[in-house]
Parts: sequence; structure tokens; C-alpha cells
Amino acid sequence: MKGNFRLGLVLAIFAAIGCASLAVVYSITESAIAAQSQKALNASLQEIFPDAASFEDITSSVSSNVQGVKFEQAFLVKSAQALLGVAVKATGSSYGGPAKLLIGVALNRSIAGVRVLELSDTAGLGMNAKNAAYYVKKAEKITFPGQFAGKFLTDPFEVKKDVVAITASTITSRSLTVIIKAAADAAATWLETSTTTAAQTEQAAPASGAADTTGGK
Amino acid sequence: MKSLWKVFKQGIIFENPLLMLMIGLCSALAVTSNVSNGIGMGLAMTFVLLFSEIFISLFRKLIPNSVRMPIFLIIIGAFTTIVDLVMKAYFPELSKSMGVFIPLIVVNCIIMGRVEAFAYKQKVLPAIFDSFGMGLGYTWVLIGIAAFRELLGNGTLAGAQVMPASYQPILFFILPPGGFLVFGLFIAFNIWLKGRMRKSAAAKENA
Repeated sequence: MKGNFRLGLVLAIFAAIGCASLAVVYSITESAIAAQSQKALNASLQEIFPDAASFEDITSSVSSNVQGVKFEQAFLVKSAQALLGVAVKATGSSYGGPAKLLIGVALNRSIAGVRVLELSDTAGLGMNAKNAAYYVKKAEKITFPGQFAGKFLTDPFEVKKDVVAITASTITSRSLTVIIKAAADAAATWLETSTTTAAQTEQAAPASGAADTTGGK
Repeated sequence: MKSLWKVFKQGIIFENPLLMLMIGLCSALAVTSNVSNGIGMGLAMTFVLLFSEIFISLFRKLIPNSVRMPIFLIIIGAFTTIVDLVMKAYFPELSKSMGVFIPLIVVNCIIMGRVEAFAYKQKVLPAIFDSFGMGLGYTWVLIGIAAFRELLGNGTLAGAQVMPASYQPILFFILPPGGFLVFGLFIAFNIWLKGRMRKSAAAKENA
């Protein structure tokens, strides 16, 4: 009995030391980690909207109505003068686990760009969605997320029809397309209902839309 | 010094964690479809193994025998999480390429196996050599299998095109069944190599 108590005590001491050291390291690194992920996110946002000057958090007003797709964050992207579009950070399940994507929608209801932030599918197959050197259209050097740039939301978004799949990774291609479509739809709906300065932004729309459209279709 | 060298050598061929001890196989098969993944996983594993062995070897007198397993888990888990956090905070680039493997390492049986079989009973110095030997043994097999699978299954090596453009990749090798096949071939090769090395060592003794 006494022996058991001693064993429990030793175990508790080790657990407490482990917890304490984790807590210390976590509190030291927490702000640095948040800053790093914010930096990475901003860099991706900037890539999708090269003219962007500021990002306004509108996470609470954009919600997903597609089952299995969740929105983590949403941003209203503005240049110095005008509104450029909406970017949504969305997660959904793919072949090997959750996938995290950043989808930008321009004012003319086309996709400004898509970035794969996190993906854990089969290396060499589904992971090619994240590989900047893997082209679904080899001649034009267009990557899987790259093909969505400039695509209009009125398109069907169907893999093997208007979306080129990654070879031998139909499930990955389909799940990512579903996430992209869901996020883009929600962003477009938000733009439709929430843009109070509609007249002003309509004017800016063709310019920014044309700049971001890199002929993905 | 000679015995330390022997400890180091054990892990590479004679007691190779993957090919002889047959532990840590899941991670080995999962990440070996690409050479750069193999290198990343091998390095990350060696790193965590090194520190886990050092810590447990240091504390071995304080750990009661009957609750050693949970204590190993606490030490390995805490240490791995610390490595993960520090990498994420200060080496984001490294974390991006190796980060996915770090959580996998906690459940890698090689760590638990070596800590239990070696570090718990040995002083710190041999434990360090053991972790390097085991780490190297793990890494070379990962890189070997990954090179084989990536070259035949994708026509590339570490992402760079190696095979001529006319080469039609054999997708089978990238998929799990191909992994098992290549893995089996590596085991056979290692057993053959081991037999040969034994024989030549015996011949030397006789002569």
C-alpha cells in the first residue's frame, strides 16, 4: 500500500514537471507562433490580392452553409482607395485529414486566387495540390489551386469537367473543389448583401478583377 | 571508445530498427513516397530520439521500475511538444518542412523501444551513441526506400525530374502496396548483407 502510494507520487511529480515545463515553453512561444502564422497568412493574402493594403476581419459575418466545410477566418480586402474582395480561410476534410485553404473572391464574382495552407494527403499524389511545381495543365504551367484563379462562380465547379483533377487523386481534387466552392459562394453572398457602398465598389470591380485574372480558364 | 563505436554500428545494420527490430514501420511506410520526406522524417526522429535517450538515461535512477512506461511517455511527449513549439515559433521554415513529422514521432515505437531496451539501463554516453546509430539506421532505410519508390513511381528524386520525359511512372510504387513490396526487398537485402558480414568476420578470425 505504502509502495503504491510512493509510485503514484513519483509519477505525479514527473507529470507535474512535464506540465510545468510545457506551460513555460508554451507561454514563451505563444506570441511568436501567433505572429508567424499571421505573417504567413498575410503573405498568402498579399499573393492573392497583390494590390491589397489592408485586411479587415469579418469572420463573424461570414458563415458556411455547406456541411463539413468550416470557415476559420474571413477578411475584407481593401486597397488604398477601394474594396478588392473577400478572402476566406476555410477548412474541410480531404483524403488524408483536414485541409486548410485560403480562397480569395474578387468583386466581379470570380475567384482571385486559391492557396493551400495545410494538407495531409498521400505524399506524391494528393499532396501535389500543395506542390508549386506540379502542374495539372502542363503546357500552361498551371497548378491545381492555380486553375481556379479567374474562374467565375457561375461555373459548375465539377472535377473532370471544368476542374482538372490531380492524377490518381480524385478524392483530394473533389474535396478541395467543394471547399473552394463553398467558401467562394459564401464570400460572394457576403459581398452582395453587406457591401453598403455598392455603387462605389462596382466601379472598382472590373479593374481589380481583370488584374487578378491570370487566364486560368 | 571501441565499445561506443560498436553501439553506434549496431543500429545501422545488425540491429537496424526497421529491418531487424521491425519497429517504427508505420511511419517508415507512410512517408517514403518522396526522398525529401524521408530525409525530414529521419532527421526529426534522430533528433527526438537523441534527447529522449539523454533525458531518460539521466533520470534512470529516479524512475521506479513498475511505473517506467508512463514516465517515459511523459518525458518523450513533453520533450517532443517543446521541440514542436520552439520550431514553430523561431524556425517557421524548418517547421513547415519537418513539422508534420513531429507529432508522428511521439507515437514512433523506435523511441519507446530504444528508451526501454537501452537508455533505461545505460549511462548517458552510450545512450547518445545508440540514438545516433539507431537514427542513422532509420534514416538510411527511409532514404533508400523513398529513392526507390519515388524514382520508379514518379520518375523524380527529391522532386527533381530524373527519368526521361518518355518514362511512364509506375504508380504502384507510390501507393501502399508498392511500399510493402520495396520494404520487403530491403529486409531481404539487409539479411543477405548481414550474413555476408558475419561470414567475412568469421573468416578473418579463423585466418
